[in-house]
Amino acid sequence: MIQTTHTMIQQGYMKRKNRLISVTIMLMALTICLCATMLLYGKTNYDVHTVIRVLSGEQIQGASFTIATLRLPRMLCGLLAGLAFGIAGNTFQTMLRNPLASPDIIGISSGSSIAAVFCILVLNMSGSGVSIAAVISGILVAALIYVLSKGSGFSGGRLILIGIGIQAMINALISYLLAKAAQYDVSKALRWLSGSLNGMRMENVPALCIVVVIFGMTILCLTKQLQILELGDDFATTLGIKIHVIRILLILSSVCLIAFATPVTGPIAFVAFLAGPIASRLVGPGAPTVLSAGLVGALLVLGADLMGQFVFSTRFPVGVVTGILGAPYMLFLLIVINRRGQA
Amino acid sequence: MTKKQPLFEAREIVAGYDKRIIIDGIDITIPSHKISVIIGANACGKSTLLKTLARLIKPVSGKVVIDGKKITSMPSKQLAQVLGLLPQAPVVPEGITVWDLVSRGRYPYQSFLKSMDKTDFEAIEEALEIMGITELANRSVDELSGGQRQRVWIAMALAQQTDILLLDEPTTYLDITYQVEILDLLTDLNRRRGTTIVMVLHDINLSARYADYIFALRKGKLIAQGAPSEIITSELIDTVFGLDCTVIQDPVSYSPFIVPRGRYHVHS
Repeated sequence: MIQTTHTMIQQGYMKRKNRLISVTIMLMALTICLCATMLLYGKTNYDVHTVIRVLSGEQIQGASFTIATLRLPRMLCGLLAGLAFGIAGNTFQTMLRNPLASPDIIGISSGSSIAAVFCILVLNMSGSGVSIAAVISGILVAALIYVLSKGSGFSGGRLILIGIGIQAMINALISYLLAKAAQYDVSKALRWLSGSLNGMRMENVPALCIVVVIFGMTILCLTKQLQILELGDDFATTLGIKIHVIRILLILSSVCLIAFATPVTGPIAFVAFLAGPIASRLVGPGAPTVLSAGLVGALLVLGADLMGQFVFSTRFPVGVVTGILGAPYMLFLLIVINRRGQA
Repeated sequence: MTKKQPLFEAREIVAGYDKRIIIDGIDITIPSHKISVIIGANACGKSTLLKTLARLIKPVSGKVVIDGKKITSMPSKQLAQVLGLLPQAPVVPEGITVWDLVSRGRYPYQSFLKSMDKTDFEAIEEALEIMGITELANRSVDELSGGQRQRVWIAMALAQQTDILLLDEPTTYLDITYQVEILDLLTDLNRRRGTTIVMVLHDINLSARYADYIFALRKGKLIAQGAPSEIITSELIDTVFGLDCTVIQDPVSYSPFIVPRGRYHVHS
């Protein structure tokens, strides 16, 4: 009897662990498949051999330009931005214990976005200056939301409502700036409102890659702490976590991920918001979601970009497609949360 | 199974929220291997005292010490292996299984490189067994009843294997059957492992029955302490709660039992 319950517990544990591992491996495999598709597929289809030759530095008439200059940076930026949005969104949602608390819902992505728009359109800046401005602005907006929601005691629900308000305000400002800068066309405007992978360049990749590795790894290393924080501040303190230090580290890392990815691709709609919940459904409740959320983020961006490019008769930027996917889920979530009576 | 118990005491602590002082100069020594209960009217500072003992609130002045060491200056994970707390309203992560939740109590024993090993698994199984929820291990916590859920939380605190366990109203919102069940389980724990238990309880009669030692608080001050049979009198209840009552003997446990006198239905 005791032996059987013991085995039952062991089996349950192994089952959950195996599920986590196999889902993660599958997500990685899928991500690699989509990355490959991004390189192989397009107006002209190339075979694997040609792609490998181009990637190893060989010059091939036509193929080199299409693959190395157009498709490769597009794929890498999509992959890295997807990872960044997915990890950052999931971290916020887990830490604040609310699926609505994603940086692209509560104004942090917009906070980075507006600095980028301002620097590029008004100040005619480019390169690392834009990223630095976006990071600072993202952190400032995050701090502003935090201070405003603190009031007479911190509440996650209030933070989300204030964030949504700030997001609406900033998006109005972005629209205003875009309308003033008449020489910019609609597709460029769309990038800043919903995100796009059009016109990615290789020089965007190294900085974004370093940021994703450093801050992605930081959050990955704090997975256990994040899972304990999920139990509430009191338990976390009791279990020996310095909650203020850990929380600030997690927030800063997430904001940096968002703020570096946003000037490159724009705030790709709903990726940060969707990645965590999807990942947690896949790996099962209670399992760590940091890595899988990153991978789901990358899959969403790459998948949506492929759809936007090739499924419809008109080409849509990636953010339009993720927006169409994300909006119904957000509505669903609002209805469910409203019914349970928790904000 | 009894280990050497650390000396756990609070020295002249003053604590509160923001600038409002709630407990004003309390000096206590927690009896080792015993069950202590803090009683008092609403807003008398009993939860604040418990939270200060658990380092959730930093005292304005005074200190909480374990074996002569200030808890605020101890490494947090090391302290978490000695002192555990079950807070009042913990958050259940959505869909999590009983086993996974209880396993989080092992956090203080893990480090960046060391993940769960045999000791951790044994500690979790033992905690589930003491709380009688081994059968529920693979179930989702969301599906459980209030009483079962509370046992899961206590199991999580047990998996932490601390010498001292603090509980903030562990029986609130539970039916009387479950209240007794939880208090029995905590007594098992105290007897089997010699864990020092300190809890805040609302029910004076259950407190008098289950506590070895009682701390009575009024307006942020400690006004009486001792074994229930020595200190629970109608005068004390009147001072602490402002309640007119008669104290009789509990026919089951022979501990003091209070019978309130209201304005109606009072003969004699």
